[in-house]
Amino acid sequence: MLVNLDPNDGRSLYLQIMDEVRRAIVVGTLQAEDPLPSVRELAGELVVNPRTVSQAYQELEREGVIYVRRGQGTFVSPAVKRGAGERRRKLTREVAKRALLDARRNGLDAEELVTMIRKLAAEEGETE
Amino acid sequence: MSDELAAATYGLSMHYGRETALDGVDLRVPEGAVYLLLGANGAGKSTTMKVLLNLERPDAGSAEVFGLDTASQGPEVRAQVGYLPESHAHDYAWMTCRRLLQHVALHYPAWDHAYAAHLVDVFGVRVERKVGTLSKGESRRLQFVLALAHRPPLLLLDEPTDGLDPMVRNRTLAQLAEHLADTPTTVIVATHHVHEVESLADHVGVLRDGRLVAQMTRDELRATVRRYRVEVPDGWQMPPDVRVASARRPRAGREAQWTLIGEPDAVTARLTAAGASVSEVTPLALEEAALAFMSEEGAA
Repeated sequence: MLVNLDPNDGRSLYLQIMDEVRRAIVVGTLQAEDPLPSVRELAGELVVNPRTVSQAYQELEREGVIYVRRGQGTFVSPAVKRGAGERRRKLTREVAKRALLDARRNGLDAEELVTMIRKLAAEEGETE
Repeated sequence: MSDELAAATYGLSMHYGRETALDGVDLRVPEGAVYLLLGANGAGKSTTMKVLLNLERPDAGSAEVFGLDTASQGPEVRAQVGYLPESHAHDYAWMTCRRLLQHVALHYPAWDHAYAAHLVDVFGVRVERKVGTLSKGESRRLQFVLALAHRPPLLLLDEPTDGLDPMVRNRTLAQLAEHLADTPTTVIVATHHVHEVESLADHVGVLRDGRLVAQMTRDELRATVRRYRVEVPDGWQMPPDVRVASARRPRAGREAQWTLIGEPDAVTARLTAAGASVSEVTPLALEEAALAFMSEEGAA
């Protein structure tokens, strides 16, 4: 699993880590029963406070995305297949939020953005 | 998180001749925090650390480390602290690194010899070399070993990344993060290279001309300092009760951009009431948000 943090992203670091884990599950680089890096490993890799990683893992555990096997580590929940639709929706929501923010900053409204995305997707479909 | 304080100062003031080094500083560092102490050069960061170690005596006020008074219990305090000084110079230039490590180990009952050997390895310290012949970067790495090897409950790191090349810097900070995962530690980091260490931080304090002008958690900082894009009528003036950190107001057009300090809903309401139209409110990266307190207009 590759986790990328963006220091200019205004959101809390633990939320960014949670999103990265969700993203890895949606795109399939993390699958049910796959092990996650330990808190120590991920803290070292990202150079973040281990508490930040713990907080992200605790929240993900509470959501049922991952679970802890005593003495063995943290794993992706087997129920992850069932939650796939929900997670996809959450991820889509975050991507859309960022795009919408960018659009508004440029003085565009949601309708203009959606229309152009459809048009671009259609054009890409034609050239493929 | 524990409510206990690892380090605290009470009305700390200090002068060097006629220069004010510290002015009524009330530091509060909760146990387990990674506390970034920020400020321009000469703002009082190093002096604050030295007072915590009883290496400097304040003119007024007091300091505590784990409830111990630093002025009357200096040796007990220093036994609890790993200190990375701003200076790269070592006192025992004629010793080999190995000899210096043995020497320092004697001062700390908690010295972990196996861990020290591991750190020597990780930081690539060549133990047969004389301390006085080390480069700036090598000297820094040796200082890291000395500061971490007794697993002190409090680490004071003064410009820790100074003198380290980028590769070594990342390895060093990663080692620090792993150290925190293994050993319950409170860390105070004084730096003006904020972006290098900000991902580790959960508390931030900002010193300006010896005064602690801000002290809060990372999330509070994020909530308190925001960038506002605003459309304003011609000749509009910012209401005097809004705390302005910085402004970008182009000569042409009605759109302006301010970095403002305060609860965002209240600030937005104040701007709106004054006739401005707020089009966007965005949070800032930690470094930019902290900078706001160093540049706040009329606060000096």
